[in-house]
Amino acid sequence: MEGVIPKTLNEALSLMASKNYIPVAGGTDLMVRYKRWKNLTPSFPAAPLFIANLPELRGIYREDDELIIKAATPLSDIEGHSDIPVVLKEAVRLMASPGIRNIGTIGGNVGNASPAGDTLPPLYVLDANVVLLSEKGKRTLRIYEFIKGPGKNDRREDEIIYEIRFKVPEYTHYFYRKVGTRKANALSKLSFAGIAKVENGIIEDFRISLGAVAPFPVRVIEIERKVVGKKTEEIDGQFIDSIKKDYEPYIRPIDDQRSTAYYRKKTSLRLIESFLRAL
Amino acid sequence: MRDISKPVRRFDASEKIAGVARFVDDHYEEGMLYGKIVRSERVRAKIKAIKIPELPEGYHVISAKDIPGKNRIKMIFDDWPFLAEDVVNYFGEPILLVVGPEREKVYEISESIEIEYEDIPAILSVEEALLNKKPPIYGENNLFADYFFEKGDVENAFSEADEVIEEEFKTGFQEHIYLEPQGMIAKYNNGRIEVFGSMQCPFYVKNALIEEFDTKPDKIRVVQTTTGGGFGGKEEYPSQIAGIAALGAYKTGKTVKLVYDRAEDVEFTTKRHPSHIRIKGAVKNGKVIGIEVEIILNAGSYAGLSSVVLQRGMFAATGAYSIPNVRVIGKAVATNIVPMGAFRGFGAPQSIFAIETFMNHVAKRLGRDPVEFKLSHRYRKGDTTATGGLLRNEVRLPEIVNRVLSMSDYYSKKKEKKEGKKLYGIGFSMFLHGCGFTGNGEEILKSIARLKKRKDNKVEILISNVDMGQGPQTTLRKVVAEVLGIPYEDVIYENPDTDRVPDSGPTVASRTAMIVGGLLYRAAKELKEKWVDGEEIVVEKQYRHPEYIKWDQEKFKGDAYPEYSWGANVIEVEVDPITYEIDVKKAYAVFDLGTPLDRKIIEGQIHGGMLQGIGYATLEVMEQKDGRFMQRTITDYIVPTALDAPLFETDLVSQPYEHGPFGAKCAGELTFVGAAPAVCAAVEDALQIDLYEIPIRPEKLLTIMEKKNESEV
Amino acid sequence: MKVRFKLNGEEVEVEANPASRLLDVLREKFGLIGVKEGCGEGECGACAVLLDGRVVHSCLVPFANVMGKEIITIEGLRKTEEYRIIEESLLDAGSVQCGFCTPGFVISIYALLKNNPNPEDKEIREAISGNLCRCTGYQMIIDGVKLAAKRGEKLWKA
Ligand SMILES: Cc1cc2nc3c(=O)[nH]c(=O)nc-3n(C[C@H](O)[C@H](O)[C@H](O)COP(=O)(O)OP(=O)(O)OC[C@H]3O[C@@H](n4cnc5c(N)ncnc54)[C@H](O)[C@@H]3O)c2cc1C
Ligand code: FES
Ligand code: FES
Repeated sequence: MEGVIPKTLNEALSLMASKNYIPVAGGTDLMVRYKRWKNLTPSFPAAPLFIANLPELRGIYREDDELIIKAATPLSDIEGHSDIPVVLKEAVRLMASPGIRNIGTIGGNVGNASPAGDTLPPLYVLDANVVLLSEKGKRTLRIYEFIKGPGKNDRREDEIIYEIRFKVPEYTHYFYRKVGTRKANALSKLSFAGIAKVENGIIEDFRISLGAVAPFPVRVIEIERKVVGKKTEEIDGQFIDSIKKDYEPYIRPIDDQRSTAYYRKKTSLRLIESFLRAL
Repeated sequence: MRDISKPVRRFDASEKIAGVARFVDDHYEEGMLYGKIVRSERVRAKIKAIKIPELPEGYHVISAKDIPGKNRIKMIFDDWPFLAEDVVNYFGEPILLVVGPEREKVYEISESIEIEYEDIPAILSVEEALLNKKPPIYGENNLFADYFFEKGDVENAFSEADEVIEEEFKTGFQEHIYLEPQGMIAKYNNGRIEVFGSMQCPFYVKNALIEEFDTKPDKIRVVQTTTGGGFGGKEEYPSQIAGIAALGAYKTGKTVKLVYDRAEDVEFTTKRHPSHIRIKGAVKNGKVIGIEVEIILNAGSYAGLSSVVLQRGMFAATGAYSIPNVRVIGKAVATNIVPMGAFRGFGAPQSIFAIETFMNHVAKRLGRDPVEFKLSHRYRKGDTTATGGLLRNEVRLPEIVNRVLSMSDYYSKKKEKKEGKKLYGIGFSMFLHGCGFTGNGEEILKSIARLKKRKDNKVEILISNVDMGQGPQTTLRKVVAEVLGIPYEDVIYENPDTDRVPDSGPTVASRTAMIVGGLLYRAAKELKEKWVDGEEIVVEKQYRHPEYIKWDQEKFKGDAYPEYSWGANVIEVEVDPITYEIDVKKAYAVFDLGTPLDRKIIEGQIHGGMLQGIGYATLEVMEQKDGRFMQRTITDYIVPTALDAPLFETDLVSQPYEHGPFGAKCAGELTFVGAAPAVCAAVEDALQIDLYEIPIRPEKLLTIMEKKNESEV
Repeated sequence: MKVRFKLNGEEVEVEANPASRLLDVLREKFGLIGVKEGCGEGECGACAVLLDGRVVHSCLVPFANVMGKEIITIEGLRKTEEYRIIEESLLDAGSVQCGFCTPGFVISIYALLKNNPNPEDKEIREAISGNLCRCTGYQMIIDGVKLAAKRGEKLWKA
């Protein structure tokens, strides 16, 4: 199935409306997924539509109090941009390797919807929105509405991911931790992203998200609410234990070639504890 | 005279940097066919039927039936077929070869071939193989090798002991990940088969093909192409690919290229043998006076080189320690997984990990400092080894150990642990490595090296040993040039071509510099005497074991090796207290590998060998589930990146070997063996625990620490 | 599909499936064998080339994505003074063993020094973290980078 290189965003959208295409941005996920054997062209199950170089899909902008990252912006641009919150920047910096970050995109990471996708936990804590675009118009979804499960998302066949946008929150504490199989070019065994705002000894904002420990990133607002409003001195061993207990049912990892369910679960809980203790 | 150890620029490096060196995949020829192997999709089964679709013109499917000679890869045992006949013994075993001009079509055909199997109960673990309840894979009891040797009176030592300590150790699979995947190109012309490819041992390949095609030696030509790393992985395995590619060429009369995809290479080529090692030590008056070591290796589905790997493992069972009463038991066990094979260290790393860790544990139990405890057991000149061989040369372990301790500031770091967010630990190992082939191997091989002085007064090295990155292109040139007193550039050394070179043996067992280099050294001496400007002169030297070496291959008694190299490592780690990830920060090493033939090349061997050893101890996880590896690609099988590598600091102590060129001994494997036990000791130190298994995974540390914390509460 | 791009300083146009790997196009249509396939999965960096001056793993790049772009491979780099400095430095530092990884490293080193003429150890390690080397333990490659940084000081800052 021969692919197409649209010249403009509009052309891309009308092609997407006409039949089922697979949008390809950097290709760092897809070229490996559809690889068959040495030297063969990867075999895409539907025609690929190459959107990486559409100028409308690249760039990082501010609009009022929101930060907008266009879908086909390479990860290395995000890593190097001063407006990007550190939780996200850290996550991106620890992804893959420079050569992959130079072509891999944020839209691709979100579109891939892998439980181990490293931009997802930070985007969850940032309450990011995913903006989808088709000939019919724009749709804006919360990131956690968009991600549906391993490899599954809420994109309709005629839509492309247009941009990721979020309000840059104010926070006094952040904690990002990727537990990978090694220090570079590693997929996550699990990852942790957390931000918190503590003012005058009171926790005013508290958000955490965990990656690779459930079919999609874990973020549980109800538990976060138990922490918000607490005084930091109230965060004692007993409280931490109760919060960890609350998280337990949501952390449902698996055994695989990278790690064990047991390790993923225990380490997630230990990281939650560690973040709470740091407040 | 030039200083032989002084680094020079490597002769092969410029063209490699520029990307003009041609590795096997870089060779292309008009009209060439591409090959793809069709592999077993069962772990163990009878092949009932094979359905091949109608083939387009120019495409062929080749099977074991097409082999004119013997369908066994010539090795020590006669059990490993080039292509499976009626049974498959591991997932991924080659059954057919598809060849044709277009890769896409070749792929399609290979995917559309249907093979009908009838499963045979598979033996999925060593335990299962030893229970012997299922039809055995090999012989009557699944043992490719079952060995035993003794020195002194072990039973007496146990009965006299103050304390008997018994521990069990485990080591895992390891994949080589040479950066260039395996590959061969074969041609068939006028009744002659020619093979070009990535390999360590051109004559292994040649001999395998002679039997496969039941033909005369002059009908087979094997040429090494520039080889992108080997580490043992290109010792015996290339014979199989060469045999399959050659069969394709023989059937079609065309050139056939068979280069592995990395995923094939990771999943279906040989690995380092996993081991279970039980050590029982008799301790009296603060000394280990007797030891029983039982080594069980998972050898995979065919014998390959496993019997010799086991021997080397057994001969290294007591490490660098003189223990008067020794019993060593060894078994190489058949299971239904890819055949295990040669890998840097060849059985020794498993044993050295076990004995080093055991000695640490015993020292701890006795309240002794492990370094001092180990030194008090060390081999000295005049001691006999576990096999009763005599250590004729100075053993400079005290000097080696002192140097590595002061280099690393070991004692002060150990005492005053660095405080920080991470848990700090430091570990030590000391060890030896036997140089050259095990036992009477060299004696049987009788290698020949040749020098040819041309009319233009340039001298060509004619040997079958290859440069796969370890540097003989440079070091051997230096040896010859140095003896002859001619410029290095006047020595020629091309990739071996069996039509042009004598059999100087395989490029294995750290033997190239010491044994083959020794032959070249003597050949050069003779050439120097015979030298006449403008004339062609050829000099040949054949290997003879030094007279004094005694070896009984039946009883494993005597000098298992002509000489030994020695070393000590110190490694510093930081362990994350939350995730238990291990960060290897610094690695210090001091080695006695005789005279270094080039200090930079040796340093490169040290760093590379140690990092592989560090990977072996930490990141390199390969597990088996239902007869398949869980880690099947280079994405899942993890080797260290530059960010995972520690800083290295190294030094040398040089005790020359009289028969090595300029006193050189063995280097390549020695650098690997000490890293894993030093990492293990460092992690033990950081967490104050005992470990018995590598790779040391954070997953495992978590459960150990949970138990430890529970018991401390 | 025909795709035009700039390859090692020259405008080229070539017919290939837009989904094919840039690696295969470079090796097979242009005979650029300095671009190596070590894995085909983005893990090893042996296939590294520069795309508009940035390091990319050519086994992951769909050919379509190079339309209108500039690609420089080791063969193109070879003609530059920067390359000569890197080459000499790697030779002197003993950075090369089997050499299969080396052209890929040269690409990463060049991109690093162009952006950061005076990198620290940690920055060098970051920059080459997508290049696997199984022979050297990396330290002697890093020594080579430091040497090249020093020797080419003016060049990198230019
Ligand atoms: C060696 C290696 C290491 C890696 N390491 C990491 C890592 O550490 N962490 C991590 O999270 N990932 C990692 N990845 C995965 C990958 O690089 C990232 O997920 C990257 O962000 C994908 O971006 P891309 O543009 O290359 O995606 P592509 O492969 O182009 O696309 C990925 C998916 O998203 C869809 N898509 C892409 N863009 C759009 C769009 N605009 N609209 C609609 N759909 C779209 C595609 O159809 C596809 O389903 C690694 C990959 C490799 C090869
Ligand atoms: S071949 Fe492209 S990264 Fe390995
Ligand atoms: S030199 Fe062999 S992989 Fe780097």
